[in-house]
Amino acid sequence: MAIKIKEVTRPPKNFQGQIYLWEVWLGLLVTFRHLFVNLGRHTLKALGIKTEPGAVTIQYPEDPAVLGKRARTRHRLLKRDDGTPRCTACLLCETICPAKCIRIVAEESPDVIVEKRAKSFSIDLGLCVFCGYCAEACPVDAIHMDSTDVAITAYDRKDMIWNMAELLEGKKNPASA
Amino acid sequence: MAQFTLDGKKVEAKEGSLVIDAAREAGTEIPHYCYHPTLGNPGNCRLCVVEVEGAPKPMVSCRLPVKEGMVVHSNSPQALRARSSALELHLVNHPLDCPVCDQAGECGLQDYYMKHGQYESQVRENKLHKKKRVPIGPHVMLDQERCVLCTRCTRFTSEVTKTHELGIFGRGHKEAIDLAPGKTLDNPYSGNVVDICPVGALTDRDFRYKVRVWYLDKTNSICPGCSRGCNISLHTNTKRPWHNEGRRAARIKPRHNAEINGYWICDEGRYSCSKLDEDRLGKVMQLKPAPAEISWDAALSEISQSLAKNIEEKGKEGLAVIASGLLSNEDWAGFKKIFVEALKVSHFLFTPEPDQMGEEDELLRKKEKVPNLKGGEALGFGTQIKSESWESLAQKIESGKIWGLYILERDPSKVWKEKTKNLLDKLELIVFQSPYKTAIGNWAHYRLPATSYAEEEGHFTNFEGKIQKYEQALLPLGEALPDWDILQKLERHYKEVQSHALTGASK
Amino acid sequence: MTGVAWTAVKVIFAVVTGLNIAGFLGWLERKQSAVLQDRIGANRADIFGLRVLGFFHPIADALKMLTKEDYIPPFAHQPFYALAPGISLGFGLLGLAALPFGGHITAFGHSVSLQPIQSPYGLLLVLGLLSLGVHGVVMAGYSSASNYGLIGGLRGASQMIAYEVCLATTLASVAFVYGTLDLQQAVIWQGRHLFGFLPAWGIFVQPLGFILFLTAAAAETKRTPFDLPEGESEIIGYHVEYSGMKFGMFLMTDFVESIVVSGLATALYLGGWQSPGLHLAGVLGGVVMVATFLIKVMLVLFLLMQIRWTLPRFRFDQLLDLGWKNILPLSLLNFLLTVWGGYLWRLR
Repeated sequence: MAIKIKEVTRPPKNFQGQIYLWEVWLGLLVTFRHLFVNLGRHTLKALGIKTEPGAVTIQYPEDPAVLGKRARTRHRLLKRDDGTPRCTACLLCETICPAKCIRIVAEESPDVIVEKRAKSFSIDLGLCVFCGYCAEACPVDAIHMDSTDVAITAYDRKDMIWNMAELLEGKKNPASA
Repeated sequence: MAQFTLDGKKVEAKEGSLVIDAAREAGTEIPHYCYHPTLGNPGNCRLCVVEVEGAPKPMVSCRLPVKEGMVVHSNSPQALRARSSALELHLVNHPLDCPVCDQAGECGLQDYYMKHGQYESQVRENKLHKKKRVPIGPHVMLDQERCVLCTRCTRFTSEVTKTHELGIFGRGHKEAIDLAPGKTLDNPYSGNVVDICPVGALTDRDFRYKVRVWYLDKTNSICPGCSRGCNISLHTNTKRPWHNEGRRAARIKPRHNAEINGYWICDEGRYSCSKLDEDRLGKVMQLKPAPAEISWDAALSEISQSLAKNIEEKGKEGLAVIASGLLSNEDWAGFKKIFVEALKVSHFLFTPEPDQMGEEDELLRKKEKVPNLKGGEALGFGTQIKSESWESLAQKIESGKIWGLYILERDPSKVWKEKTKNLLDKLELIVFQSPYKTAIGNWAHYRLPATSYAEEEGHFTNFEGKIQKYEQALLPLGEALPDWDILQKLERHYKEVQSHALTGASK
Repeated sequence: MTGVAWTAVKVIFAVVTGLNIAGFLGWLERKQSAVLQDRIGANRADIFGLRVLGFFHPIADALKMLTKEDYIPPFAHQPFYALAPGISLGFGLLGLAALPFGGHITAFGHSVSLQPIQSPYGLLLVLGLLSLGVHGVVMAGYSSASNYGLIGGLRGASQMIAYEVCLATTLASVAFVYGTLDLQQAVIWQGRHLFGFLPAWGIFVQPLGFILFLTAAAAETKRTPFDLPEGESEIIGYHVEYSGMKFGMFLMTDFVESIVVSGLATALYLGGWQSPGLHLAGVLGGVVMVATFLIKVMLVLFLLMQIRWTLPRFRFDQLLDLGWKNILPLSLLNFLLTVWGGYLWRLR
């Protein structure tokens, strides 16, 4: 993709812009309009009359966060039909991870067809930058970033590390840390 | 000499040499699977095809002798098309399981596919299934599905080791590499088939799934396993320590050196890397009278004082030094400086322990399992400076002539067995300096950690007198220092003690 | 003696009123900016679940400031470092006491002036007190022994001195019209009517002067778009090394100075405590006077805040250009026109 350059011409200086006051007045008109329209809407709402909302604010913990369709959220590991993890421990996600937050230890799988599987798989969500490269790199579609979980918090850094079982279940096990 | 044109460049080569060799010397790598410089050129992979002007079809460059004035195109549309068609044929039944394949990252199929592949597969039929994950020997795992039937491995067993364990069985698309009936791939050079396999059909059981190859750092080194001095590349995993079971050294690969080891190394040397960090000494210790950690300076000055005191009281004849060919040339130089020039020691012991002697064959392996006896001999150790035998040294200790023992990387208890305790209890000073823990270390007064060959750089002189450099691959473990550094520091401390003694005497 | 006591009571009343308005301004600033930006604004602080539109946030802020660690950098010049916020806030608060909250009234048989500090030179007093506030800024920047703080302090000093000159020249013309430097007399002067119906407020007598005064006043009090001495998140200002209540005092100084200049604007340009057509006397009249004055002050403050949330910050060279090259010549011109106008008026 070539970089496109758009030349922006500076608007010519005119008296109206030079004295500045008129422009300040125009700006004030905008802010005053917003102020009074929103105040009116808030008042109407307080009186119980339906109207447009006066603010675009989402009261997050009470109201659910609105996520885009492609929003990248906490990782989840997927299972095969038989319930085993899909991950074959190819380490591509660990390799591409720019934050180096993924740690996988591989081992021999008892299943000859599967051959290789992850012995341990952990993501340090405190380090993760949510770039989505791991999901992109995965050749077996084992890792997704579509759990819609954005409230990832802990009182301790080591509690931000999720192991394989937790990533499969989508639930942090408080005892594991 | 003949001159021919390769991709528009004039190239000089010996008349009758192969185009693929001449191209490599001129800096053009022609893709190939079956061709190997020492294993001949069956010409069955059809990947090294080049276009030769005047020839009706693409020619296989690994069977094409150079002729004066011939015009070769290795990257012409015709050659590329032939190459990508051949590659497509190789991939018809390939399982494409790169995510689980250990060869990924150094795989001929991957590399050439990225360059020459037809990215759209035209194959609509089901892939043929063959045997997967078959251990065919103590070190090698076979996966027939990934094989491109280049026959390098069968040629290796038939031409180099002459043990004939591997062969090709079946016909047509069911052709597959397998063990000859009743045999296992357990010759002492079996690991080499993994190196020469251009794909993931033969993988290393010891290295399998330990770490991805692209995490490894490669260092040029020399195998310390015997006096052959094989050139190796030491692959280490330090950036992601949770892989490879926490070990730093991941694997050893041979490095081509036509004069020493060719393309091969023995399994003994190849699989020694897993023991590189096992049983290491990390801390400078004073073990007698009570075990305690101690700093390098304190340990060396105490040793110096003890040496000076004992030499003054009991004479310099009472000190014996045990060393072996595990020391590098640099170590030997430091060894000579302190023990011959400064301390004037009269009892040396260089005779190997029984377990430092091993099997020998015509290919690579030598009897002495230490790398650098020749380097010591060059400085006179074992030639002008005679070595005691184990019995004579034991007798001298028994009779009380010896008061001190300085041991470098050796374990006398393997020879003296149950006599050891009695003998060592008679001594005033035992210093043990080594990278590794041994039984004798527990009897020593001072235990000094030295670096292993992977943690220092230096030179080994092999049995033919060839001096070769090995490079530092890892940081020293714990407080370890190179042997030459320890000996040099000890010498400095000893001289300081001596000068203090002199000034003290003059007062 | 009773006179002194009464003055003290009135001064304390003025200071307490000012501090309360300052707290209220903290809430107003948040809410006004939030509403005009389609947001809700701070609304989480509650007492027993009662949120009252986030009204408790200034209280929470004050509690936070008071309980925060008061860290004094070890390299700071200790006495000046401690003195600086006090100087800033103290002179601002004193300025409040010189404002005419109301006129003379007769209550319970006593004649009482509702201006805490009565002085024939009240205008000069307020200007002087505002100028002394510069010392707090420079002192804070200098005694922090931090380069950021020092440069912020220097920025503040050059800005405030530049706009003080503008402020003084602008006020000179209005003082010329009223013929007095006494704020109380100025308010009383504005009780008359022009052409029989228009109240003779400063804004009608000196329209250009009012705009110039408002601009210079905003710059003098370091409010956006002229908040370069502070520049909290970007260029870092003179109070970068301050924390806890000392920092809180600097924040409060801003609000208090805003109230002072708004009071000045009210007294000199908006008719002070006068309400057109009302003749005020007695206790009730006094209450109406004070309420009128405070309402007018609040309206000016509201306008200042609206300007703050409308305009982006100036660059420093633009700021000085505006002060020295535009506002100062304009206010000199205004003064000249006023003098000529006054001369022509006399000739009439």
